[in-house]
Amino acid sequence: MGKTYWETFKEAGISRREFLKFATYITGLMGLAPSMVPKVVHALETKERIPVIWLHGLECTGCTESFIRSNAPYASDLLLNLITLEYDETLTAASGILYEESGKMVRAGLVGHLDKVVEEYKDRYILIYEGGVPLGNDGKYCIVAGRSYKEDVIELAHHAMALIAMGTCSSWGGIQAAKPNPTESVDVTKLVKKPVIRVPGCPPIPEVITGTILHIALFGIPPVDDQGRPKQFFGNRIHDTCYRRPFFNAGQFVEKPDDEAAKKGWCLYKIGCRGPTTYASCGNLRWFGGISYPIQSGAPCIGCADKNFWDKDPFFERLKGVVTSKSWCGRRRNHRCPCRPRYCGRH
Amino acid sequence: MVANVVKKAFYRFYLFQPGLRIWHWIQFLAILVLFITGLYIGDPFFIGSIGWEANDAYAHVLSMDLIRLIHFAAGYILLFAFLYRIFLMFTKKSHFSLLIPKFWKPWFWKGIIEVLLFYAFIKKSHLPLIRNPLARIAYVFVLLLIFFEIWTGFAMYGLSDPSGFWAKFVSNWTLAFFGSEYELHFWHHVVAWVIAIFVIVHVYMVFFNDFIAKEGELSSMTAGVKYFPEGHLPEDCDDVASQKECKKLREQS
Ligand code: HEM
Ligand code: HEM
Ligand code: SF4
Ligand code: SF4
Repeated sequence: MGKTYWETFKEAGISRREFLKFATYITGLMGLAPSMVPKVVHALETKERIPVIWLHGLECTGCTESFIRSNAPYASDLLLNLITLEYDETLTAASGILYEESGKMVRAGLVGHLDKVVEEYKDRYILIYEGGVPLGNDGKYCIVAGRSYKEDVIELAHHAMALIAMGTCSSWGGIQAAKPNPTESVDVTKLVKKPVIRVPGCPPIPEVITGTILHIALFGIPPVDDQGRPKQFFGNRIHDTCYRRPFFNAGQFVEKPDDEAAKKGWCLYKIGCRGPTTYASCGNLRWFGGISYPIQSGAPCIGCADKNFWDKDPFFERLKGVVTSKSWCGRRRNHRCPCRPRYCGRH
Repeated sequence: MVANVVKKAFYRFYLFQPGLRIWHWIQFLAILVLFITGLYIGDPFFIGSIGWEANDAYAHVLSMDLIRLIHFAAGYILLFAFLYRIFLMFTKKSHFSLLIPKFWKPWFWKGIIEVLLFYAFIKKSHLPLIRNPLARIAYVFVLLLIFFEIWTGFAMYGLSDPSGFWAKFVSNWTLAFFGSEYELHFWHHVVAWVIAIFVIVHVYMVFFNDFIAKEGELSSMTAGVKYFPEGHLPEDCDDVASQKECKKLREQS
């Protein structure tokens, strides 16, 4: 049995007061009611720090980039105090040959670092997947330290206590699974028999990543919807919490990305905003400590947390291939639309 | 000289009780409203609120909010109309059996060909049928499409209240089934157009039959009855009357 969170905190010289403040903070972050604070404190006092294995497949590593920018809790806090990150190709201090050599030793029948971790924390570790899994060419499109990612995905899932698909690539396949999908990439749920928690987003909001990991560390699997997405972060459409919603309801829309209406901050629905169909927390949590989110910065949401969103282009039109009044206007140049002469997007 | 009055005997078939006729016209109105408001939701092509503050526009003009409200209200009407139609199936024989494409009957296949030739102005008449096979297929098809619109519509509608009734029982698995809500919107929109095309063809066919076949097609959905001249007993007589009655009539002629 490893050390509990509280023990770790004490060792680090963190006062009880600071500790309670922290507990209150993360309670809010996980979307729990204030009445849950005592339970969070209790969990922090009794649960041991949870071991995490974090794998990277076909991806841009943007999810990790997002993760390390988490503000509440700081990613460093999470990494150093709240979980023990046992294996991660990009974040661990050990790197290069020394770190990956162990992987090759596994092939040679020797016990490598990863095997040691799995042995030691059997059925207790969280396995986080980042990136899609290429199945084409027997998985040769993604090989890390001599092992194909495809094998790792299946093997390591066996003894995991919880599986998290981090980001759109591991949740839905992501950009490499977009048409024509040359590497035949799929999301990890296609390969793993156990239930996988999906945290989609390209990338997911930093606090959503840390919040989900924390929830599992303290209380186990969070409540999820039918597609395995934690309800506290993916229960609402962006549209439902968007601050531009009054303009939508009033029927005041931006027609072109730089028109008068755009300067007034009207709703981006007509220039293809995917807010009405995308489930994510951008509208309420926003990004990077609540600074902004794409819609606030004037760009329509492209639905990055949505299944197969790459194939739903063009991003600046509402529904692909569906006839709208705009499609008539755009047909002929210099043609003036009789019904709305001023508002034809492409004039 | 053309006679002003002709004495002729008819078979008079009572097809639809008032309930069904009222259902048909309520459904028609609901779909009309749904289609128009739906198209506006899909592409808000007029903006009635220039120069208003969002708050005032909200309350005073034909805003998106109001149009969506009308769409959802008509959606509820359509839902209950649909459920009522299912209930009606148990109230009268013809309410049910006229909807069945009876592909195991010989007249069904013969009817398809004859009706097609009739519609193409190649044949002057087709074998007498209360409801022809093409219409049977079309009605089942359109009822399924309407069901699809109700299903996808309420799935989208439900998710604005994630712990409500629709979200619990409809939305979540529907979303998982379609992959994402974008697809839901897409198919809801496409099927809306398919229904619109059905209505155009349907109305054309109704008037065509009323004017050319002269069997009281239109009156069937207003007065509930259809007429067939003596000697032209419809093949699907037993969808409305009992087998015994039909047999008797057939022997008489
Ligand atoms: C939204 C538009 C409409 C829809 C979805 C629709 C649908 C249907 C359906 C499903 C039936 C079969 C009734 C049953 O047995 O359940 C039917 C019959 C009928 N409809 Fe419509 N209808 C529409 C509009 C109209 C309009 C505008 C007219 C009038 C011009 C019309 C005239 C008729 C008539 C006369 C029948 C009886 C046909 C027969 O018994 O063969 N309908 N319609
Ligand atoms: C024959 C029946 C119907 C037709 C023709 C129809 C048509 C449409 C159309 C064209 C759209 C726009 C889709 C888009 O571009 O996003 C739409 C949206 C919608 N419809 Fe329907 N609809 C029908 C029935 C229903 C029903 C029964 C409901 C249930 C309440 C419903 C709920 C919705 C919702 C929630 C939306 C999305 C609204 C939004 O995004 O703000 N519809 N409908
Ligand atoms: S900007 Fe997008 S998410 Fe916001 S109200 Fe408009 S359509 Fe909805
Ligand atoms: S607003 Fe949309 S596209 Fe932007 S990060 Fe959020 S879900 Fe992704």
